[in-house]
Amino acid sequence: MKVIVADDSRVMRQIVIRTLRQAGYDWWDIEEAEDGAAALTKIRASQPDFVLSDWNMPEMSGIDLLKSLRREGNETPFAFVTSEGSPEMRRQAEAEGALFLIAKPFTADVFRETIDPFIS
Amino acid sequence: MTIPATWEPLTDADPVLTIAQDLFSTMIDGEPGHLYQWMGESPSLEDSRYAWVDVSGPVVTRVMLMAGRATGEQLTRALLQMDDSEAVSDADFADAVGEIANVVGGNVKSLVTNPGALTLPVVTHQEPDMSTAFCLLETYFGWKGAPLGVSLWALAS
Repeated sequence: MKVIVADDSRVMRQIVIRTLRQAGYDWWDIEEAEDGAAALTKIRASQPDFVLSDWNMPEMSGIDLLKSLRREGNETPFAFVTSEGSPEMRRQAEAEGALFLIAKPFTADVFRETIDPFIS
Repeated sequence: MTIPATWEPLTDADPVLTIAQDLFSTMIDGEPGHLYQWMGESPSLEDSRYAWVDVSGPVVTRVMLMAGRATGEQLTRALLQMDDSEAVSDADFADAVGEIANVVGGNVKSLVTNPGALTLPVVTHQEPDMSTAFCLLETYFGWKGAPLGVSLWALAS
C-alpha cells in the first residue's frame, strides 16, 4: 500500500512514520512531503492509496490540499494528523471528505484504533 | 460579527500541565511521570531559547515555550530517538522545539471558545519583545531536572 505523509516538520514526519510502524503498518510504502504543495505534486505523480496530512503547513495547508484534490476529481482516501483537534476542525475535515482527524500527541494504539476500520 | 475568544479557562496552569504531560508521556518519554510542576520561584534558564505559536483573533494570543539550549537539545534527541552523544543541528533543534510549541499551542487552542487560526511555530535565541503584551499565564515544569517554561500572552493589536 502506497502512502504519503505530509508535514512541514521533518521531526513530526519521522514520529508519524515511526508510530505507523509501531501500530503494525510496517508493510506500507511511505513517501514524505514537506508541505501541502509538495504533497499535491507527489499525489498526482504517484497516485497513493492513502494520504495522511498535517493541517497547518506553509505553501498549502492540509485542508486546501484536500480541497484541491477533490476539485480535480481525485478521491484518494485522506486523513489528518494535526496539533488541533477542535470540534470545528473535525467538522470541517469531515465536510471536505476526510476519513478522520487524529490530534497530536498520539500513540500507536490511537493510530491502530483509528486507521484499522478503514484498511479493509 | 466577530465573537471574541475566551481564554479564562487557561489562566489556571493545570490544563497546560495536563497538555504538556500528555505530550511528553506519548511522544518524548514514552511513559508518564517525567514531567512535573516546578515548585518554588521561577527558575532562570541557561542559554535560553524561545518557541511560540500565535492564535489569531481580535486579540492575538501567544503560546510560548522557554527552555535552555541544553534542555532543547535533549528534547530534540528524544523526539528523533538520537543517542546522547549525537550532535543536534540548529535545523533539527528549531524543528523539534518548534513542534513542541506547536502541539502545546494547538491543544491550548482547542480548549478555547472561538479561537482564530494558529500560526506556524517560530524559534529564536533572543527573547521576543513582550513589553506591550499582557501575560495571562506563566508556569514552569521540570523535566530531567531542568526547567521548562510555558507562558500565555495577549498581544496588543
